[in-house]
Amino acid sequence: MKWTEIGARAAAGADAGAGAESPPQGGWLERYEHLVGSRTLHALEALARKLRGHRIVMVNTTKTGGGVAEILHRVVVILNELGIETSWEVMEGDDRFFGVTKKMHNALHGQGQPLTDEDRDIYRERTRREAERLALDGDLILIHDPQPAGLIEHRRRPGQRWVWRCHIDLSRRDETYWEFLRPWVDRYDASIFSHIEFVPSISIPAILVPPSIDPFAEKNRGMEEDEIASINERLGLEATSPWITQVSRFDRIKDPVGVIEAFRLVRARRPSHLILAGGGASDDPEGAEVLAEVREKAKGLRDVTILELPPQSDKEINAIQRASTVVLQKSLREGFALTVSEALWKRRAVVASAVGGIPLQVLDGRTGLLVRSIEGTAFQCVRLLDNPTLRRELGHEGHVHVRDNFLHTREVRDYLAVFAGVLEDAARG
Amino acid sequence: MSDSFVFLTPAPLELPAGRVAADLEALRSGIALVQPEALFHHVTRIPVRFPHARDLPENDFARWVGDALQLPEISERLAFAGSVPSGSPEDLRATLLSVLDRVSLRDRKREAAEGASFHFVAVRTVLAPLGIEANEPADVIELWPWIDLGSAFYHLVEAPAFGIQEQALIPWLRDHGGKGLADSAEQVVGTGRPLAPLLREIGARWRRSQIGRRLIERSETPEAERRRESRAAMARLVGRLRGQGNDTR
Repeated sequence: MKWTEIGARAAAGADAGAGAESPPQGGWLERYEHLVGSRTLHALEALARKLRGHRIVMVNTTKTGGGVAEILHRVVVILNELGIETSWEVMEGDDRFFGVTKKMHNALHGQGQPLTDEDRDIYRERTRREAERLALDGDLILIHDPQPAGLIEHRRRPGQRWVWRCHIDLSRRDETYWEFLRPWVDRYDASIFSHIEFVPSISIPAILVPPSIDPFAEKNRGMEEDEIASINERLGLEATSPWITQVSRFDRIKDPVGVIEAFRLVRARRPSHLILAGGGASDDPEGAEVLAEVREKAKGLRDVTILELPPQSDKEINAIQRASTVVLQKSLREGFALTVSEALWKRRAVVASAVGGIPLQVLDGRTGLLVRSIEGTAFQCVRLLDNPTLRRELGHEGHVHVRDNFLHTREVRDYLAVFAGVLEDAARG
Repeated sequence: MSDSFVFLTPAPLELPAGRVAADLEALRSGIALVQPEALFHHVTRIPVRFPHARDLPENDFARWVGDALQLPEISERLAFAGSVPSGSPEDLRATLLSVLDRVSLRDRKREAAEGASFHFVAVRTVLAPLGIEANEPADVIELWPWIDLGSAFYHLVEAPAFGIQEQALIPWLRDHGGKGLADSAEQVVGTGRPLAPLLREIGARWRRSQIGRRLIERSETPEAERRRESRAAMARLVGRLRGQGNDTR
């Protein structure tokens, strides 16, 4: 019988590069161990041993704000705890560059704006300058999203393996922008997408890695009843009847008007309170327009609260979701919709549309209920309001499903496997 | 050649298989043509994809036919076909195709709504040594609590299904004098239950099978050694109660 390095983790918090958060005492892996079990972590360590001696560099364009930065804060530290030297480089830019990349982001999501020659020059020039500045000295480079994708042209060294991780939904992309990016993407050894429907036609291997949530983040951490009640009281929310909640930005594809129509049907049959909580209306003209429509639609309706939350409202979102009887995600179209995993993690009963990445998270009748219409949404809400046992069972199974499939440890495992696979391919020539 | 059994942990990488189905005819042609690994992923890997589910979801094909095409009868048949331990992926393919071949012409034309098509996924598995080796069958019983679910599934189900005999645990147990252990594992694997309880059941059966042998060994052990073992067992129990070591997740 032989054992090798079981539980022998590297010293926590080795150099994690720019901005990575300090781990708690004992390290993040120890905290995760209580959630996913020691065997899962041993398997992760085994996979990490395949990459010992290699050095990973992660690159994105922001240290704070946004889902990618949130993921990197944790993932970089976990990789270091696993004994793989990993650093995080942040590509910088001026307003002009970020103006172009914002347009690019929107266009790749399907909201096209013309890509001018000047835009192209601004992108190329900033990429060239940042390629000189950034410490891309590892042998495994993981570039996140389109903004830094062009770095490969200037900085790829012999022996390095480059992987492009696209976090955005390219299924409705503007082809002009994609054709602009594609010559760089084609130079990578592999690409990673969150969902199969997001994968464009591409000449390099495309690997599917769903996103994941951080169970210790402010948005997901456990809360005592007192804390939940006090936060909700501060928001002016009263628990006089069961809450049906949708948390998402005020955007037509999230169908907030459809949510109100469904709630009107529910409210006619059962006492309940609808909370529509979201942001994105203050800095987005379309968001403000949608919010106005939603307010108009809700006019005269009792038991509807519309909350426009500022950025950094994670704690509030956590408290609202935890106090809700039913969490809705009645989108008409979706990317991956991690808000669903966040609600499932909190053991909430979820009613959601069968679009985008939602069916991967909501297994109909097992971890939540899938719907396709306003009437279906109302029907399932009433069913759940009446049936605490069903809510509890769905909530339990949803929590377990997220623990098995949508926590950061699973995403780390997938990144390790991607790099191990790329190295195997290189060794085979 | 080493005679020990080396445990490996698999990390499956999912890739688009390049086939999309919006109706049963396209699903049938996809099932007929995709790589065996893709079929295995969509059907046989369900227990390891939902290892702690209270009861297992149907396989991906059955779920899609039920949810997206709203054809419950065909969904049920596909679910049953996928739940029968069928040996090789080619046997599985034949079973699924025989279900789809019996579908009426009208149902074959039923189309999924926009955005609800079935995307076939291909799988490439990256393997890493877990750092655990067994020299004899009794070692496997001791090591079992440390083997992750993916690894156990790989050695009990996946490697045999793909004919990778040197990584298949049950034949190794048989070849090394552990026929009883092999038979009981095979019996439990055949039940197709969710993975976590299934593996607990295998571990429990194996431990029970060792009671007789342990009693004989124990009667031949000096008193001091027995006391030391009792203290160690108590320490392990305390560790388990604190949620360490032998976790059941």
